[in-house]
This record gives sequence, structure tokens and C-alpha cells, in this order.
Amino acid sequence: MAVAVASGLTYTYPGASRPALDGVSLAVEPGQLIVVLGPSSSGKSTLLRALAGLVPHFYGGRFAGSVEVGGSDTRRTRPAELAGTVACLFQDPESQVVMGRVLGEVAFGLENLGVTPAEIAPRALAALAAVGAEHLAGRPTDQLSGGELQRVCLASTLALEPRLLLLDEPTSQLDPEVAHDLLDLALALAAERGIAVVCSEQRTARVLPHAGRVLFLDQGRVRLDAPRAEALAWLAAHEPAYLPAASLGEPTRRAPGDVLCTVRDISYGYPAGPAGARAGAAVAHASLELRRGEVVALVGPNGSGKSTLAKLATGLLEPASGAVSCAGRAAYLSQDPGRYLARDRVEDEVALGVGGDRRRAHDALAAVGLEEQGDRHPRDLSSGERERLAVAAVLVTEPDVLILDEPTRGVDPVRKRQLADLIRAGSGRATLVVTHDEDLVRGVADRVLRMERGSLVAVG
Amino acid sequence: MIGVPAIGVGAARARRGLGPVAPGAAALLLAGVAAAALLADHTATVAVLAAALLLVCVRAPRARRRAYLVGTLGSAAGVLIVSPFVQSLGSHPLWSGPRLPVLGRLDITTEELSAAGTLALRLAAVGLAFTVYALLIDHDRLLSGARFARRGTLAVALATRLVPTLERDAAGLVEALRGRGIVVEGLRARVQLLSPLLAGSLERGLSLAEAMEARGYGRPGGTRLPAPAWGALDRACLVLAPAVAVAGALWL
Repeated sequence: MAVAVASGLTYTYPGASRPALDGVSLAVEPGQLIVVLGPSSSGKSTLLRALAGLVPHFYGGRFAGSVEVGGSDTRRTRPAELAGTVACLFQDPESQVVMGRVLGEVAFGLENLGVTPAEIAPRALAALAAVGAEHLAGRPTDQLSGGELQRVCLASTLALEPRLLLLDEPTSQLDPEVAHDLLDLALALAAERGIAVVCSEQRTARVLPHAGRVLFLDQGRVRLDAPRAEALAWLAAHEPAYLPAASLGEPTRRAPGDVLCTVRDISYGYPAGPAGARAGAAVAHASLELRRGEVVALVGPNGSGKSTLAKLATGLLEPASGAVSCAGRAAYLSQDPGRYLARDRVEDEVALGVGGDRRRAHDALAAVGLEEQGDRHPRDLSSGERERLAVAAVLVTEPDVLILDEPTRGVDPVRKRQLADLIRAGSGRATLVVTHDEDLVRGVADRVLRMERGSLVAVG
Repeated sequence: MIGVPAIGVGAARARRGLGPVAPGAAALLLAGVAAAALLADHTATVAVLAAALLLVCVRAPRARRRAYLVGTLGSAAGVLIVSPFVQSLGSHPLWSGPRLPVLGRLDITTEELSAAGTLALRLAAVGLAFTVYALLIDHDRLLSGARFARRGTLAVALATRLVPTLERDAAGLVEALRGRGIVVEGLRARVQLLSPLLAGSLERGLSLAEAMEARGYGRPGGTRLPAPAWGALDRACLVLAPAVAVAGALWL
């Protein structure tokens, strides 16, 4: 018997002009892994929320068709009552955490389900052990890294012993190494326990090899619902960007021009920050030059100082020693697209960086495929659209030195290719891309710098 | 049986913030001290209570306590400065200024200054009590131990997290704006950040509410992680808290 069945599901968010889901039918069998693909705003997250009962209960809107989870009709059963049968892991770990300490966080769902008090701690600890986070049990949640926090959130969902696990781009806010581990772990544990999984994920290379079925959504409609082998053939014919081996193109390898940014022997150390944030030397005696027309990729493990070096090069941080000089305007794209939501309209947000020049803002939005979204509120955009808005907000300033910090997080494969084109097109500027995305490095980088423990250790 | 020692470790760590006192008992005592500061008549008494709370606040990590202390002491200083100008009290003028519409003549008397000092100290004491609550009390254990008003306790615990989150969001927003070449200087520019910060915290609140509902929050028949039993010191706090408040009202 299917764990979840959606029949003719059509759903429109309050105030929206078109449905987010349009006539979706789907049956999820026990132990099955269904990977949901599709561009930003295609309805992937909405489908997962409908399977959890959050749509329509939490959001309101117009709902037609039906969804049954574990035999319960979601129109008549509140999401809280479905908890335990279904569990969700969302994109942003920080927005899911309720409690101040890890053990309490994992215990929270068990308490709500009415698990006997004596069983709560052992079950919570067992779930933490299953995800390799038992050692975090006594730690405050606000002192965990993003990867650790998402691992704790995964433990929180597994502790509920659900029959259906919904993964809504659970790694979009994580660095690829951490993301890889987390996805592998989640899928392996689900398979081991016979839990059905519906997973929306842009990093197709990570999930497609495990998929039993693939669903491709576009504008709320199901364009493909097929077993993996058939789906791979369909993707090759219709949406090749979603194939695991899809290329982002080749670097331009144009001759570099004059030096636009010089970083000479700089060092920087963070003071102990809020909530016990990192302290100590983040960058030690780093030197680099960025030349007009070239794209340089800065790679390295988490915490190696890449973002700090990027901020130092842009002038956002003052080095403790050494010197930075940039010819012309330098711009920095933050890792967090949530920081580009200062205005009430998308176009105004982009125009903010160019003194309100709406024509330039419109052109920048068109370059990232958001020209139709100019009148929307930035907070109404999906996570992938927010990332593109952030890119537009920085590109519109036409910087001489452009520094992009993890620009491909949460971006769908087609838009990622467009972003790679945009990065390559900058013949008049020097571009530094801080990234873990190996496809992006291969596709755009004329030169690769590697950082380890605060030092630039290799040039390739 | 791995659960039992792990809970013990968690509890020991949880108790480290305010020494051997359980979070529930410590919260009650803080409420008693704050009430005493509000009810006490003598400025010296309020000053002693505020100073004692300030000493406790110092146990919190410097980076975390900064925002709370700046907010609390800044607000208290504001009350101290503004209050004498809007009060009309006493007959021993220290300074006499111009007459303004609505406010009348601006002057400062010894009595107004003394009353303003008491008001400022009361505000400081209440703010510092909240700082101790926010930074040194383990809210998870407090929630586990709550025998009533569990929803309210959770709501307060979540609201308490707003201060560091807003501080971090504000820093991120300013950094992103600077990265686009936009200078954020002056009061007006900073006030303009309030709207996106508020919108961001509302959005975060909605996401959290969604995640909570998806994890069964609000379902009837909930249980809770067992909390350690209260010791003699905790029970003493239970008696001391109302006693301090009553003493503040009647004798201090």
C-alpha cells in the first residue's frame, strides 16, 4: 500500500495568479526514493509541503484534488497529526531549530508525539548516534556549524521513525563536501529503515544514482514521472543540464590584462564572536593578484579562510598586516542571498546599488532571468531566485573587481549554466570566485588558488 | 542505558550558567529581584540590586552580553537624561532653561534628578535581570521543568533568541550593502535597516512555526524529557523569590 498518494492536486498560494501545482498525481511506495527535479519556482517545495499537510493548512490558498498520507486525508488532518508518519527536512537548518541544546532539539518532536518520558532521551541519542552526532548532544545549537546543525535536524526527523521522509533541498545551504556526506547519510539511513523518501535537490549528481523514480516539475506540472533509467534518457533528450555529467562550458582563457587588485602579504584574525564563533588567525601572509579579464577560482576546505580573504580583498575587512589595493570599484557577493532583501521590490533592490537607476536594474535582472519579477517583493522569491537576485544586485554595479562567494548554492542547473556564462563574459573586470563547486571551477576558472588553514598553498 | 548519563552531562552543563541553581528556580529568583527593584522606594536599594545583577551578567561571554548591556544601559541612560525635562517635581532648581511649546519651561530640580536616577536604575535592574535570564539560564531545562505555561515559556525562550539573531542579521545586511558599494552611515541609514530586519525575523518566525508544526507541535497528549528533581537550594529560591519581592515592596 502506498505511503502517500496525491490525486489531481492543484494548489494556488493566496494572492498568486497561477497555481504552484497543477494537476499533480503521484503515489509514493514504501522504501522508494523519488527525486524531484525542476527549475526554481516549479513547485518542488510546494509538492513536498502538500505531502506533509503544510499545504494548505499552514499557507491557506486554493486547494483542489486530494493528498492522502498514511491513509489520512491531509485536508482533514493537521500537519501536527501527520508528524511521525511523515517528517520533513527543510533547506535552512537555522530556521528549523526550536531548542537551545542538541538533545532537547531532537527530543522536541518525540515530546510532541507523546513518547513515554523514559524513552525520549534514549531515542533521541540513538537518532544522534545514527547520524554520527552523538558527541553534540550537550552542545548549544547556536554554536554548531551549518553542516552539524543540518545533521542534528536530520536526527530530529529520524527520531520520529517516519514512514515518509521529505527532503526539501536539505543541502542547499551547505558546502558541497558537507552536503555530499549528509545526503549520502540520509539516503542510506532511509534505505536501511525502509523509509520512503521524496527528495528535491539541485545537486543531481548526488541523488540521481540512488533514485528509484524521477519526477520533473515545470510550472507546477509533472513533465516526467519515470523510473531512473527511463528518466536519464528523457533528461538527456529534453533537459541535459540536469544530467549528473552536464558541463558548464569551458573557461575563455583570454590573455589577462593589467593588474586590478593586489593583495600583499596580508594577515587577519577574528576576535571571539557572538555565540562562541571562531577566533584566531583566519588568513596568514596571503598574497595574490587579480588581472583584468581573468577569472580566478579560490577553493579549499571549510574554515580555511577563503571568505575572509575575499572580504579582505574587497575592503570589507581591514587586514591586521599587509596591504590591499584595488583599481576601480570592487564588489562582493555574500554567501547568504537573504542579505539582499533590503527593499520592497525586486527592481528597487537591484537599483539600490546604482543610485536608483531602474534601466540598469532591469538589464541586470534580465541577465539573470528575473526581468519578469521586477515588481515582486524579494521575499516572495524562491531560494534559487533570491540567489540570482543577489547576483544581479552585485553585477549591476559593474565592478572592476568582482568577488563572488559561493554563487551557485541553491541555483538550478540551467541557471547555473547561465551564471557561468555571465562570469565568463566579464572581459573588462577581474573576477574571483570562492567556491566548492568543482563543475563551476572547471567551467569558468582561468586560474585556481587553493587555501588551507589560512594560507594560499597552491596555484594551478 | 546511554540516555541516563548523557542527560546527567547535559544537566550539569545546563546548570553551569548560574552555578548549582536549577533554571526554573533561577528564573523565579530573577523575577523576584526584578519585582523588588520595581517596588523598592530607596534609590540605594535599587542601585544595589542593579549592581548585583550586573555582576552576574559579567559571567556571560563578552561578545554575547555586549548587545544586551548596550541596550539596557543605553535605555537607562536615556531615561536618566530625558526624564528630568518632562517631569515637574520639587522646588530646588539646579538649572533653568527656555520655555518650549507643550513641554513648558525646561528646568532640572534636585528632586527630578533623584527620581530620574531611581527610574533609570529600575529600568537597568529589570533589563539586567532579563539579560541574566537570556544568557545564563538554560531554556531547554527551564521548559522541561515547566509544570504550567509551557507554551508561554517556549514562546519567551524563542523570543529571547531574537536579540543575537537580529544582531547577526544586521551585521550581514550592512556587509552585503557595503559589498555593493553602499555606505551605511548615520542614524537615518541605520533606521532604514529596521524594516528588512523586522521582515526577516517575521519570515524566520514563520519558517520556525512551520517546522514546529511539521514536528507535531500543538498535538494533544505531549510528554516531556524528564528534568532533574529540584534540590534544597532550588526550593530555597522558590521561597526567597516572593520574599525578596515583598521585602522590596514593604521595607526597602
